Amino acid sequence: MTTTLPPLATLPPLGARARGRRVLGVVRRDFAALRRSPIRMFEIVFWPTVELVLWGFVTLFLQTQKVPFAVGFLLGAVLLWQVLQKASNEISIAFLEDIWSRNLLNVQVSPLSSVEYLIGLMVFSLGKVAFAVAVMSALCLALYGFGVTAMGLGLVPFMALLLVMGWSLGLVGIAAVLRFGENAQVIAWSLVFVAQPLTGIFYPVSVLPAPLQTVAHLIPGTYVFEGMRTVLNGGAVPWGDLALAALLDVVYLGISLAVFGWALRYARAHGKLSRFGE
Amino acid sequence: MAILEARSLTKRFGAVTAVDGLDLAVGRAEVVGLLGPNGAGKSTTLHMLLGLITPDEGSVTMFGKDLHRNRVEVLSRINFAASYVDLPGTLHVQEVLEVFADLYAVDRPAAKVAALLDLLELGPLRRRKVMELSSGQRTRVQLAKALLNEPDLLILDEPTANLDPDAGDRIRTLLVRLAREEGRAMLITSHNMPEVERMCDRIHFMAEGRIVASGSAAELAASFEADDLEAVFLKVARG
Repeated sequence: MTTTLPPLATLPPLGARARGRRVLGVVRRDFAALRRSPIRMFEIVFWPTVELVLWGFVTLFLQTQKVPFAVGFLLGAVLLWQVLQKASNEISIAFLEDIWSRNLLNVQVSPLSSVEYLIGLMVFSLGKVAFAVAVMSALCLALYGFGVTAMGLGLVPFMALLLVMGWSLGLVGIAAVLRFGENAQVIAWSLVFVAQPLTGIFYPVSVLPAPLQTVAHLIPGTYVFEGMRTVLNGGAVPWGDLALAALLDVVYLGISLAVFGWALRYARAHGKLSRFGE
Repeated sequence: MAILEARSLTKRFGAVTAVDGLDLAVGRAEVVGLLGPNGAGKSTTLHMLLGLITPDEGSVTMFGKDLHRNRVEVLSRINFAASYVDLPGTLHVQEVLEVFADLYAVDRPAAKVAALLDLLELGPLRRRKVMELSSGQRTRVQLAKALLNEPDLLILDEPTANLDPDAGDRIRTLLVRLAREEGRAMLITSHNMPEVERMCDRIHFMAEGRIVASGSAAELAASFEADDLEAVFLKVARG
């Protein structure tokens, strides 16, 4: 019997190369799963396209009623809403797929840290959001003559702010599943929709009752959609408001990471991770 | 130095004490079996050793480092396979191994994956989706995954539970060879007593969350005045 082990087969686990490889592993896994699932490929563009066509017809109707700015306001809103919704749902789905495929334990006993795991999920969701937005932008232009470049320079921070907000909500959704079990999947799906009526996606926040306006101004997305309308109305990008939204995003992300960490510790303490594998 | 050392491990779920002050050690190249009836606390113990469950009391040290403080370092040197865990079903066998080669930051992953496909006789299945494989084939993929990082310690929860006798025998032969020739330590649970007799250097019997008997298969049979390990198991299970 030999007692001498062969040379170490892995990279130094705490080194940057190993950390990068582990993040890449999460992205590679999600990409392979997507590539092998035509239905999921279809789903990436199906719902955004349905919403775009639906709201596109609404804008055509409003145009006949001489409602000013209707096309840009509504189509821009649909497009940015998809950024928020997809950013939230995609990282939840990636996590839930580990549960559905009974692979979660394999991931949890690997040296992948929670931060690396979440970065991997975020990178992959970024790719999917970018793809969906590209398809929707092309459709907007082809079907309704609306180019997303009408939002000017503001488009980049608008999307970035919504991405971060979506990831924060997605993390809270994952935390709910870790805390309450698979039955809490509905929270992961629906949490982002709570923001829909409050953030003034399709209408100015000023139409909300005063108490809800206060709540709305605590949501980063509100400043994005208000900013979008300002820009499409010919105004300048409201950088001050976007900076406030960025600050709120930092708070949201910090809170959601803390909630995720707490839920993971709870799941480990109560044996819930093990039960996901059964 | 023991590769794995657990001291006074205790886990309670509400009023139930699943594991009660368990001490356990596994040395290099040693194959240790953890046996006991359903509900004895075997899987809870393994999951505490893997960091999936946080113990209420006690400590887990691997390679001289505390598991909970050195999670990434420790987990990169061990691996795990279980009959109740699966792999992403829509991925091809080779893709699954490539993904886990990344997650374990395996050096020269292409060569390692190719070698394991060959070792586990998975070459002809490399382009098949995991969900299309038989349970025996999936078990081989699980083991290939578990060997990717050339672990110093393999934790196996009923590794041959879904296998026919031929496939089970091949896997046991492979695992014994890995322990004897490459010095890999293993901690195994199983309900297959001949398997445990063949593979394990040392066996711990658990009942109601505690280790109630330890020794080699021969020592246990002698101390329980039993013909074989199966008879020992029945005596332990029936109190």
